[in-house]
Amino acid sequence: MTDTLEAAPQAKRRKRFNLTRWARGGGLHAVLFAVPVVLVYAYFSWGPVIQGLVLSFQKTNLIQPAEWVGWSNFTYVLADPGLVQASLNTAYFALLALVFGFPIPIVLAVLINELRKYDSLYNALAYLPAIVPPVAAILLWKFFYDPNATGMFNTALGWIGLGPFPWLNAENSAMPSIVLYATWAGAGSTAIIYIAALSTVRTELYEAAEIDGAGIWRRIWHITLPQLRNVIFVMMLLQLIGTFQIFTEPFLFTGGGPNNATQTILLKIYNYAFVNGDFGAATALSVLLAAFLGLLSVAYYFVTKRWSTS
Amino acid sequence: MMKLSRRHVLAAGSSGAVLAATGACSNPGANGEAEELDPSADVTISVGDQPTEDKPEELAAFNERVAEFEAANGNITLEPSAEVWEAQTFQAKLAGGTLPTVMGVSLTYSYELIENGQLPDMTPYLDELDLTKDLNPLALDNVKDDDGNVYTIPTGLFSVGIAYNRNVFEQAGLDPDTPPATWDDVRAFAQQIKANVPGVTPYAQMTTNNTGGWMLTTMTYANGGRIQDEAGTESVMGEETIAALQLLHDMRWTDDTMGREFLFDQEGVRQAFAGGTIGMVLQAPDAYDTLVRDYGFDPAHFGIGQLPQGGSGANGTLTGGTLKLFDAKATPNQLLAAAKWIKYYDFDKYYDETVALDDAETNAAAGNPVGLPGLPPVSQEIYDRYLGWIEPHINVPLEQFASYTSSTLPLIAEPPAGTQQTYAALDPVVQQILTDEHADIAQAVADATEVLNGIIAQAAR
Repeated sequence: MTDTLEAAPQAKRRKRFNLTRWARGGGLHAVLFAVPVVLVYAYFSWGPVIQGLVLSFQKTNLIQPAEWVGWSNFTYVLADPGLVQASLNTAYFALLALVFGFPIPIVLAVLINELRKYDSLYNALAYLPAIVPPVAAILLWKFFYDPNATGMFNTALGWIGLGPFPWLNAENSAMPSIVLYATWAGAGSTAIIYIAALSTVRTELYEAAEIDGAGIWRRIWHITLPQLRNVIFVMMLLQLIGTFQIFTEPFLFTGGGPNNATQTILLKIYNYAFVNGDFGAATALSVLLAAFLGLLSVAYYFVTKRWSTS
Repeated sequence: MMKLSRRHVLAAGSSGAVLAATGACSNPGANGEAEELDPSADVTISVGDQPTEDKPEELAAFNERVAEFEAANGNITLEPSAEVWEAQTFQAKLAGGTLPTVMGVSLTYSYELIENGQLPDMTPYLDELDLTKDLNPLALDNVKDDDGNVYTIPTGLFSVGIAYNRNVFEQAGLDPDTPPATWDDVRAFAQQIKANVPGVTPYAQMTTNNTGGWMLTTMTYANGGRIQDEAGTESVMGEETIAALQLLHDMRWTDDTMGREFLFDQEGVRQAFAGGTIGMVLQAPDAYDTLVRDYGFDPAHFGIGQLPQGGSGANGTLTGGTLKLFDAKATPNQLLAAAKWIKYYDFDKYYDETVALDDAETNAAAGNPVGLPGLPPVSQEIYDRYLGWIEPHINVPLEQFASYTSSTLPLIAEPPAGTQQTYAALDPVVQQILTDEHADIAQAVADATEVLNGIIAQAAR
């Protein structure tokens, strides 16, 4: 009894944790609400991530007991003669997508934004490719890319005296062909985000600029782009991460060919796992890619942070 | 029809994160060695390769045979599954433990599966059913380990030949009953087709999804070479492979008789062939089924000859087929039941005239090819007797397969170590030769040898 009497003034200071009060104050409910989410994440998200890390140090076909092999999966994937080319191809795709694919949605968004009439129609048209499922779209584009002179693109280009081009069937044109498709497929959904961002730009700025005699290009350069800066930075990071994970397009268009010209890192990971049944090598390369993308994101964050504040 | 067993529930719960989260779901409810074999105990197994709903006659026939089997074996319950082998998903499903107790899988995997412990030792069950002695010994060699234990039952065997469009041959002024016997013939025929039949790719080559390596291996065999040594310890590609690539290079760049599409896989090339735009392509006779039934190709235009030979001739051709994959984690009773089912479903027709006739009639009625040439899974005498029984139902124009069926070429097994990986590593070599006029063939083969040795080392690790 005396103990509790003595403890009471201490509790008044509210420094010490009191279970009953915490539970009465709703802490228990908070935990109860959090439990399902934490369990779902632990089982479906964090669990696999940790399992993946463990797998990358094992040799297993998931039927026989797993065997610890140390760094051997990592040395195997790093010594794979195809890794350098796959990395270069992935970087090449990322570069092409950045140079050609990145500005197009911005231009598209600005153009649609400038329209006074029918802008929702153009909105819908721009977004249309995003509605087509990628697999269907890719199979369709495979027809367009028919390397024969009778192929769709070749026929159209033939009218103006160009081609026929081999498209996917030559090492130097396979990747640009994939980028062309990816740009077509991705521009609409990215443009929608820019259009939404553009609607937040205050119209007084344009009016003021117009009164000052600024033409359309100067308005875009001095008002639109600076106002979109943060969105552009985020989209660029998302695109970079996305392009480093490119898989569907080379998988369906070329299977990585011709002569590995479109073999990407993710396609390699896929082949390790699902063609070779070598889950250790596949997870080892996945871990390396994840580490690389993590570093890239951190570096990007700091670089763009400086730009943003300057 | 299919009940949701504990096995399926476990499998469904774990399939979300196949790559990573598989450690937790590795026991689908069987404890292998602990159980004694008891042929009369009640047992339930799942069996794959059930025809899908879009083929109602075949599905009905399959289900009828399931019912007959269950009636004859009161203690065995079958759970049919429409699971079929697909190269792209097979490894994931195998690892995830979602495959049925028994199903057909490409014979390509046999060495790898045996080596990795992914196939159970079936010897005691096959002995129990007295099945081993009747199986084609040539095929059996592909599914044994060094101690002579048998791990699976090979069925649906084939060897690679050259398929050609008889209509195109006629238009080109070639004799449709005389397919090319040598690679020199192939080249000359292709030139003649190019000169006379516009809009047709005279000779097409598969290059993607491992088919490039598969066919380069076949061409290497035709020239008398090998890709790996017999034990699968190293890559032994040499002048025979270089000669095969040189021929493809010359046909592509000197003769221009290979068209413009160089990213064909099996499905792609069959579609193009069925569209009538390909003169010749390496295929096994099972192509007939897909071409005629799935793609509406005119059977009268289909021809197939034995694999053209290079070098001194009669070097051989590559064989393949299907193996019955038994679940390595199944109990002895389940394995025995599964072997009984395979014996009943795939082999009874070779021993029982009534079953043979029923089977042939059903297939003929469903529009499936009956009597399609291939290598028999049983010995030749038993197979010939079977062909005699079903003769009235044979609906395949056998005379158009004459050059293939009369072939006496040596039959050569696939490269033993990391077979699919080996093929995958050779795909880019073939693609390079066909898309880069100035490719250094010897260098490409030397580079590929290095890659293959890396794959072999990783497989043996």
